[in-house]
Amino acid sequence: MLRFLIKRLLLTIPTFVALMFVTFIMLRLVPGDPIEVRRGERGIDPARLEQLRHEMGLDQPVWKQFLDYASGILHGDFGTSIVSKTPITHEFLTLFPATLELSLCAGLLAILLGVPAGAFAAVNRGKFFDQTLMATALTGYSMPIFWWGLVLILFFSNTLHLTPVSGRVDLVKFYYPQHTGLLLIDSLIWGPKGAFLDVVRHLILPTIVLATLPLAVVARMTRSSMLEVLEEDYVRTAKAKGLSPFRIIGLHALRNAFIPVITAIALQIGSLLAGAVQTETIFSWPGVGHWLISSISRRDYPALQGGIMLIAIVVISVNLLLELTLGIINPRLRHDQ
Amino acid sequence: MTSETVTGEVVQLAPPTRFAAFWRAFSENRGAVVGLIVVCLIVLSGVFAPLLTSYNPLEQYRDAVKLPPIWAEGGSWSHVLGTDPLGRDMWARLIFGSRLSIFIGLSVMLVSTVIGVALGLIAARVGGLLDTIILRLMDLIMSIPDLVFAIMIIAVIGPNLVNTIVAITFVFLPRYVLLVRSAARVELTKDYVTAAKVSGLRPLRLMLTTVLPNCVAPLMVQAALGVSDAILEAAGLGFLGLGAQPPAPEWGSMLADARDLITSAPWVMAMPGLAILITVLAINLMGDGLRDALDPRLRRS
Repeated sequence: MLRFLIKRLLLTIPTFVALMFVTFIMLRLVPGDPIEVRRGERGIDPARLEQLRHEMGLDQPVWKQFLDYASGILHGDFGTSIVSKTPITHEFLTLFPATLELSLCAGLLAILLGVPAGAFAAVNRGKFFDQTLMATALTGYSMPIFWWGLVLILFFSNTLHLTPVSGRVDLVKFYYPQHTGLLLIDSLIWGPKGAFLDVVRHLILPTIVLATLPLAVVARMTRSSMLEVLEEDYVRTAKAKGLSPFRIIGLHALRNAFIPVITAIALQIGSLLAGAVQTETIFSWPGVGHWLISSISRRDYPALQGGIMLIAIVVISVNLLLELTLGIINPRLRHDQ
Repeated sequence: MTSETVTGEVVQLAPPTRFAAFWRAFSENRGAVVGLIVVCLIVLSGVFAPLLTSYNPLEQYRDAVKLPPIWAEGGSWSHVLGTDPLGRDMWARLIFGSRLSIFIGLSVMLVSTVIGVALGLIAARVGGLLDTIILRLMDLIMSIPDLVFAIMIIAVIGPNLVNTIVAITFVFLPRYVLLVRSAARVELTKDYVTAAKVSGLRPLRLMLTTVLPNCVAPLMVQAALGVSDAILEAAGLGFLGLGAQPPAPEWGSMLADARDLITSAPWVMAMPGLAILITVLAINLMGDGLRDALDPRLRRS
């Protein structure tokens, strides 16, 4: 187990180094003068330009600049935003809870709905529910989610006036201290009366939109994995023993069908974050994805660079964690590759 | 040039009897047949777009601004699906837009298939350090969410139609490389490959004429799904303002313009999205059928 752990950790190092290299190159390739790109100033006088070049280490050889960038990252310095002049790490950490809350809710919705639906479809294979569910899942899988968000806004916000169009909470009506950044928790503990409900109302549509794709994937995956498991001998044995169908499916089959499903969910984490970029743009959700897109339109390339680096670190760590967990649950996986 | 080699392989592989067998398995799946028909209709409407409408998709008809579609109140037969706030005909924009989406989808699929096959075969055959390097590179691409990586590439090379194709091809590459690599590694251990080696086939010919044809089935399924994924991704970039630039009638960027019109002109928002959904869904249905027909191991029913 320890060998597996160390090997897996070592494997992330080259990926990480290459990642630093790619983001470093990106900032150098962005069109425009590097000083202007990084400082957001135009028409600087030559003396000050020289001074800035020296300050930012741009008069050093390229390999030295890369080493400086890399050592900065290892010390937690991801650069400074040229718009807000604050460290990227600070901006990222302020905005990340919003993205995290949204992604967690969407991921949870996908699992809580997708797993039972997929399992039920597998048990009733070929029947009406199965066919309807598979058609729905394929539609969800093909859905352009930015359009889906607009359609939901049209129905629920503009026509039925049930949900708000944008933001996380109505701060004019409900102002309260934010401790964790996860508004569901903050509003429940410290918020005034009604704040929690308001947060939930803001969350509903973005969660549905972001959950659409993972939900379809999880339902399809659970169904096919379940179909395979239902053919296994131990399920037949359980049936022969006269166990109730509920016990057979819930205890014996679903537990074994779950392993590939967890892997599928792990693979969805990247797409959750990618989906968050679109979802946050539609609902003006103050999260990392929204910030990343607006930093492009503000030409804040250092923010883009640091943000991408941080997002990649989140994805790599979560995947690593899941892989290690799977390695503990299922020893067979440790020896693959 | 490159596309010809790929399709050439497939044709060579499928003599009439095998094609007949494939078609029987494919047409058993009703959804797949419907998908195929819809895809054909969309492609035809794109190809013959100038015959299907007398309007120019870019021209602004100032006397018919924000005209609702024919079934809504105030609709007119002159613009069947209505017009947008600049007075451009929606039907013309939609069918000319299908050209762009199909073009993006096919280009991404063809380029990434060719590069993916090359890298995958090299990784499988040469192995060792080269294999490790290719694998790590693919790991790197996959460690950044694909849309975010595409955004980063677009930020460097600038937003336009061709760069959209470049960026999406790049982020989709790992799927093709890893697929070809693992399929080729399985085939390389089989006896017929050893026999071919013993008979003196050179490595390049061995990989291309003996191993590759046996990896084609999963590759074709991936390619079909790759087209729909690329269309979806390109529309997503267009929606964020990072894809094809206005006034091009690209479905995703049409949606970006329509965001403020949800209440005043919902049809301008509804139609491009519906077009994307129908196209992607039809290709996915077809891809499911293709998988069932080509790969009996993955057959669902």
